Amino acid sequence: MRWHPAQLGSAALLCSVAFVWTTPFLWMLVAAFRPETGGSRDMASLLPPLQPTLENFMLAFESADFAIYYVNTLMVVAGILAVQLVTISLAGYAFARLDFPGKDLLFTLFLLQLMLVPPILIVPNLITVVRLGIYDSLLGVMAPYLASAFGTFLMRQTFKAIPRDYEEAALIDGARWWQVLWHVLLPLARPGLVAFSIVSVCAHWNEFLWPLMVVNAPEKRTLTVGLASFASGAEGGQEWGLLAAGTLLVALPLLAAFLAFQRQFIDSFMFSGVKG
Amino acid sequence: MTRMIAMTATALALALLAEPAAAATKIEFFFPVPVEGKLAREMTNIGKRFNAEQSDIEVVAVYTGNYDETKIKAQAAMQAGKPPAVALVSANFVLEFKLNDQIAPLDPFLAAENMAKDAFLADFWPALHANATVDGKLYAIPYQNSTPLLYYNADLFKEAGIDPEKPPQNWAQLIDYGVKLTKKDGSAARWGLMLPSEYDYLGWITSAFTMANGGLYFNPIYGGEVYYDAPSTLGALRFFDDAVHKYRFMPEGVTDQKAVSSSFFAGNAAMVILSTGTLSFVRDNAKFNYKVAFVPGNLRNAAPIGGGSLVTFKGLPEDQRKAAWTFMKWLSSPAQLASWSRFTGYFAPRKSSYELPEMKEFTAQNPDALIALQQLLRYGQPWFATFNTVAVRKAMEDEVQAVLSGKKKPEAAVKDAQRKADEIMLPYVQSTALTIGPGG
Repeated sequence: MRWHPAQLGSAALLCSVAFVWTTPFLWMLVAAFRPETGGSRDMASLLPPLQPTLENFMLAFESADFAIYYVNTLMVVAGILAVQLVTISLAGYAFARLDFPGKDLLFTLFLLQLMLVPPILIVPNLITVVRLGIYDSLLGVMAPYLASAFGTFLMRQTFKAIPRDYEEAALIDGARWWQVLWHVLLPLARPGLVAFSIVSVCAHWNEFLWPLMVVNAPEKRTLTVGLASFASGAEGGQEWGLLAAGTLLVALPLLAAFLAFQRQFIDSFMFSGVKG
Repeated sequence: MTRMIAMTATALALALLAEPAAAATKIEFFFPVPVEGKLAREMTNIGKRFNAEQSDIEVVAVYTGNYDETKIKAQAAMQAGKPPAVALVSANFVLEFKLNDQIAPLDPFLAAENMAKDAFLADFWPALHANATVDGKLYAIPYQNSTPLLYYNADLFKEAGIDPEKPPQNWAQLIDYGVKLTKKDGSAARWGLMLPSEYDYLGWITSAFTMANGGLYFNPIYGGEVYYDAPSTLGALRFFDDAVHKYRFMPEGVTDQKAVSSSFFAGNAAMVILSTGTLSFVRDNAKFNYKVAFVPGNLRNAAPIGGGSLVTFKGLPEDQRKAAWTFMKWLSSPAQLASWSRFTGYFAPRKSSYELPEMKEFTAQNPDALIALQQLLRYGQPWFATFNTVAVRKAMEDEVQAVLSGKKKPEAAVKDAQRKADEIMLPYVQSTALTIGPGG
């Protein structure tokens, strides 16, 4: 097969753009295996080190209790998602199919919540969490996210796009509303649920400020908080290799998931219209 | 059978009796990681050591991000009714915590031990007093402190024909050396001087240059005044502008401290001004002969302090309040401060820390630590603190960044910075200095 010059040109262009975009990741990968240089000469190099070392990873494991942080992050992410899937399906169904007074007003209020910047909610949310008695616990980290305005909106739109004929057929056969939801609507809304799940997992995996606010006990830290405990320097220098190794450890599960479900990831973000 | 039950019961009772009568008071200690990862580990160990030494108090050391995040977390926790017993906060946030009525004065604790405030403070370096006291009352105990310091590459000095034993003494020399040390040919490009100019660091450096130019920069007594459009500040901004755009020995634009230290290690910056807290990092990583010197002055030498102090919050139960003071006293004992200083590179804020044998040995081995200390002792100045410190600081930093990037001239920059700062401080000024007479 012969390549047309124009094709070659665009391929070269795409490759160079791809290279620019992957540079930070490539650097992290290389730096994680490079012996510590104290940020000197070859720190910025993208060439793999001549003598790769696992020292940075050992240091990272020493600096932070990664095993516990993984478990905590997994629990938080899975816990949030499990409850969210229930709440957004029910709320989305209510807004898409049921008629009740004040529905539009309520839905507008829901959407308005999307406009709020999360940091301004820190104090009110923290007060609620303290009153509920779940301060300094993983449940406290999850609590504000158990309902999701974005998820509700997404599910409402998804349900609305499904023709009513399917439900009516089920209703004629004597199904109740929850049977319709479970057997008819949810299977058809799968792309929406998957899209939301991916967005939710990514967001909460990477969340930093809120877990930092709620959790005090070292054994309840999540990955991001644990990583930051050796990544943020104000006056000293930076141990770049250690930082790169730690970041790689934190990002690895998501990266692996991305490689495994690449197509689904891209479809989800396209579907939900969210930039990653 | 009954005997066995009786025996078991007796054993149980004995076991219960052996338990301490009252459980230890549990307190939380919020700490940021101002330097690097190993410090977080060491701080956790310090908490464990304290817990092992006594049984009345159990300290939980809570890592709380950087200084800004520690402030957010401490204030949020306070508002939610869970104030931390002790927190290590940026020394220039103390004033704001006090104005917000969030931290407790330490004078009552001292009074209970029949100790006068001045007698307690006498052991701390004088430059540190201002940021620890508000309205004559003690609100914080200095814990880790720093000042800006000039680091220079002695090998490059020689190469440029400058005596490495004679660092620049004033701005004229700084410019002269800067120009001589700058090289512009292709890949071997090198800057004469680099300064960190990201938020927080830039405000500190700008205040250092303003003070070196004879200025005060801010009113150290009253939190509602800054001197941004004063001649001393304008002169400092002109120095930055000229260094970048006229003499061209400093790079244009914003460079953060990581870029500055990396350039220094790579030999791409001959002189840099960084915190004394960076000293051990430089010592470990510079692969050439580096030296340190006082930050050059224009009208005088001056170096504002930086670093962190210990505070205790209001609204604690009585047992926690007492435990907090016990822990603060332990943390700020001469030996603890000395060991933390050796570990981090910060100054020990207490004079008596330097009298300890292990500290004398350390300073004998690392004489550059003593240069940093002498600068603090002779030229130390209080750190910028006002009502709404961060916003007022940023009002100037945004303008200096515009000057460094060539988007604005110093004359316009200081005027705009002053106007913005005055707007931010207006509510406080109106409720204090402008409220005159009975009934306000």
